[in-house]
Amino acid sequence: MRPNFHLQTVCRAAGFAALWLAAAAANAQPLPTPEQLVQRLDALAQELERVKAQLQQLRESRDRATTVPPQADAAAAPAAAAAMPAAVAPAAPSEPSTVISSYGEINVNRPKNGSNTRADLARFVIALQHRFDEKTKMVSELEIEHAVSSADDRGEAEVEQLYLEHRLTDTYGARAGLTLVPIGLLNTNHEPTAYYGVERNFVETAIIPTTWREGGFQIFGEHDNGVSWIAGVGTGFDLSKWDATSSEGRESPLGSIHQELQLAKAHDVSVYGNVEWRGVPGLRLGGGGFTGKVGQATPGFAAPDARVTLWDVHAKWMPGPWDLSALYTKGAITGAGDLNLTFAGQPFPVPRSFDGWYAQAAYRWQVKGDVVLAPFARYERFNTGRSFDGLPEGLNPGNVGTEGVATLGASFYLNPNVVFKADVQRFRLNKDNDRFNLGVGYSF
Amino acid sequence: MAHLRWLSASSGILLAAPAFVQAAQYATAEETARRSFPEATAFREVLVQPSTDDVSAVAAVVGKPGLRATPWRILVASRGAEVIGAVAIDSVVGKLELIDYAVAVGADGKIRDVEILAYRESHGYEVKLPAWRRQFVGKGADASLRVGDDIANISGATLSCVHVTDGVRRSVLYVARLQASGRL
Repeated sequence: MRPNFHLQTVCRAAGFAALWLAAAAANAQPLPTPEQLVQRLDALAQELERVKAQLQQLRESRDRATTVPPQADAAAAPAAAAAMPAAVAPAAPSEPSTVISSYGEINVNRPKNGSNTRADLARFVIALQHRFDEKTKMVSELEIEHAVSSADDRGEAEVEQLYLEHRLTDTYGARAGLTLVPIGLLNTNHEPTAYYGVERNFVETAIIPTTWREGGFQIFGEHDNGVSWIAGVGTGFDLSKWDATSSEGRESPLGSIHQELQLAKAHDVSVYGNVEWRGVPGLRLGGGGFTGKVGQATPGFAAPDARVTLWDVHAKWMPGPWDLSALYTKGAITGAGDLNLTFAGQPFPVPRSFDGWYAQAAYRWQVKGDVVLAPFARYERFNTGRSFDGLPEGLNPGNVGTEGVATLGASFYLNPNVVFKADVQRFRLNKDNDRFNLGVGYSF
Repeated sequence: MAHLRWLSASSGILLAAPAFVQAAQYATAEETARRSFPEATAFREVLVQPSTDDVSAVAAVVGKPGLRATPWRILVASRGAEVIGAVAIDSVVGKLELIDYAVAVGADGKIRDVEILAYRESHGYEVKLPAWRRQFVGKGADASLRVGDDIANISGATLSCVHVTDGVRRSVLYVARLQASGRL
């Protein structure tokens, strides 16, 4: 006890002097009374005692763990304790609270007509993640498509994700902000190293508008039996954006009316959800659905009660080196008949239904270490306008036809983060689109 | 004074940061040890510094990244005077964030359990699933322990599952060396 007494006395005297000097130097506020200073010093002394007690606890914990020297013939650790030793801090690396990551891809497409060959820096993404505490973090992705973005260029700069995630328990959590919609296999897992083929598959581009995100709230659950789910509520599509003179709606009906939280009309709230099951290692079965009104209370709009509905089912099986997947999706825009009447005579009215499916097989041949060569084949069918509401015969395009695309190619992974790709694609209807593709991508 | 206040506040945040950057812990290493070695009569904790021989020997088998060169925290299970196994505690980066995990290895060199102690990523939680982790049980340092070979991949969580599998392989090899040289 003697040393403590000395320490406290010295601290108190030094603190007294320091506080008086600081107060005199500041000369801006009235000097504290001696009684106030004594109170402050007592508080400081108590805090010092607490810190010393914590330090002693840490020392005791450290002493209970024994460091074994690296020599092979070193003496074994002390005799076994009777009970589990108190845990010390794990001797493992610590992590930074802010993490920067990125992915990108550069592609070359050479269609049958060689003059249309294009090379494109398809996307460059910088992602920033910051963990505020043990349960809460911010996740973001900033993307530039097609290299240059300005009023005179065709590129886009966009925020693809920006949300806050909070863990409620080990099993449940919630997100708020701009989040990916969990429909399909590709939308939430869209880095170039994650999919086969230079370009993303058509079904999850034309029917499911990858990369599809909405602003709002999500809750999610991850259960030990292999079931996971997400339920969300948020913004949706804006049908008043439909341009019946543009082929964009024929290429991707939902891609042409998405809002991407860009001053999004938010009168009509959409709901969505998915369920996945991964109870058997290597197998994933799942599906998701989305529905929401898309009139957005736009004044004078001809389809105020129109609604978008989209759902999918998918399966992925990875036995050994095989990677097999299949997906079916179907979408509908209902209640747009009156709007289509206003488009009569224009080439691209609003479709009532659209759908697609694909099946894909890849074989991941581990060449050496992390180097993997993965040849793959995929066949997909998709129809972006199976039927149309509101238009009389003669003006109704009916079924616009189901396109089929066969893709054969390979991905060469230098390591899990760097991939070189090559493939050929053959189209069933529009044979002018037949093409050869080369690409390079990375993700970290 | 305003500057001092900000400096002081910033220092406090910096000092406190390591304590805050911890996700919720799932199972503890101690629980893993008790579950994996129910016959144990005692457990002791050791911090083991890998030798340069350990690092090069493990690297020769698993390639890069090799064995972590900083001290390893290991729980040693004993029954009487006999060492019956060990639980190695380690961390690997999943995609962006650290995954803390523990590998329980019996005296026969076979894995008894792989437990995820903390998972922080937004996606790819599936490495936590018992069904996936059970694939490791019964395998030892002589097994391939590679994703796509004797360990199934996980759709949408490839990096997490590859990195945890690589980490388990390193841990098993290291514990086998510690056991063989009598260092546990």
